[in-house]
Amino acid sequence: MSFEPKILGIACNWCTYTGADLAGTTRLHYPQNLRVVRVMCSSRINPSFIFRAFQLGADGVLVGGCHPGDCHYNTGNLYARRRLAVTKKILEFAGLEPGRFRVEWISASEGNKFAEVVQEFTAQIKELGPQQKLKIEQLQEKA
Amino acid sequence: MTDFRQIENNLKKEAKRLLEAGEVAVVLAYGRGYDEKHPMPFAAKAIAHVESLVFNEYCNFNMARYLMRYPWGTKIAIAAKAADSRAIIQLVQEEKVRREDLVIMGIPAYGMKNQKTNEVIDSKTTGGLYNPVIYDILLGEEIHGQKIISPYEVLAEYEAMDKEERWAFWKKEFDKCIRCYACRKACPMCYCDPCFIDQNKPRWADKAPQSPGNMMYHLTRFHHLAGRCIDCGECSRACPVDIPLYLFHKKVAKECEEMFGQAAGMKLEDKPALVDFRVEDSDKILE
Repeated sequence: MSFEPKILGIACNWCTYTGADLAGTTRLHYPQNLRVVRVMCSSRINPSFIFRAFQLGADGVLVGGCHPGDCHYNTGNLYARRRLAVTKKILEFAGLEPGRFRVEWISASEGNKFAEVVQEFTAQIKELGPQQKLKIEQLQEKA
Repeated sequence: MTDFRQIENNLKKEAKRLLEAGEVAVVLAYGRGYDEKHPMPFAAKAIAHVESLVFNEYCNFNMARYLMRYPWGTKIAIAAKAADSRAIIQLVQEEKVRREDLVIMGIPAYGMKNQKTNEVIDSKTTGGLYNPVIYDILLGEEIHGQKIISPYEVLAEYEAMDKEERWAFWKKEFDKCIRCYACRKACPMCYCDPCFIDQNKPRWADKAPQSPGNMMYHLTRFHHLAGRCIDCGECSRACPVDIPLYLFHKKVAKECEEMFGQAAGMKLEDKPALVDFRVEDSDKILE
């Protein structure tokens, strides 16, 4: 059986989530490996969410937010940009593959872009294979 | 070498003067331990305590850690080496202490030694500084002409590692962790109450000293100190199992400096990098 990755998507309510909705209503096809969690803003994302997702068996994490300058709360994603950049550097220095974590700015009208990003990211994770480094060992045995 | 005796005498003199004049309620400095090699953090509150103050090459505690024990308005004199003075600036930026409450007694020092290994720690900590960034009184002569060691020099070896190798390295180090939280206790920037690791709802990580929980604790701690770590190296010195935590902190500090163009605790008027933003920050930092 081919490897089907589990990908956590964390999407901002105002842009990326609505963009995903648009991708759905326009009947675009994209892989079903993505599990989307809706948050009110990308700056709502505690970096611990990302570390914890990897520990609980996510193979990749995709964060979506509004384009910088378009945030519903004016400045949320500008804080998030700095914060998530640090998260990425930390995961990288700890030794996790840098490709497993990605941040994308997708606006509410970019249903196409959403589908494209998910396709691309899923393909990338499939190539990287299962994430075993941060995953909790008991979970590894069950799998 | 720094003249430690001279600094000790000056420290006693200044502490006595400040306490006598009633300018401060407490002097935070170093006191005698059970031998010369083990001085202790010490709070002198009366003139009689002043005689117990010491300063030698093993006095590498970051006294800024103890500032937050006193309520706002308490006048405090604090002995601060280079890294400690940065910690004070960072705490002022974060509004945990007020500048006007403090009398900073700057100590220019090099040749400080680790109590456990006796090695000179200048290359590992101090952020390449020997003189305090900020002070009211200077207890020794400013140091000039010493070789400036780049704070990030020690990182090169680890940055050159393959990611698998680096993962194996950190896994091995964090597996040693016994979760005593000495790193958190020693850190002048770790003041959250409760710490995320002590929370039960949500429970962010397992509390048993095992691999996944350790990893979660340390990675999150590095993240919480991003752009705030002032490179004093207290965490790794406090660690009973010698995890080189300072390496990871240095790496994060380096990245923050490169991405956001400011080092932690250098200017009173700065804001900590992660509670600030620039519209012109580039998206490249996310790649």
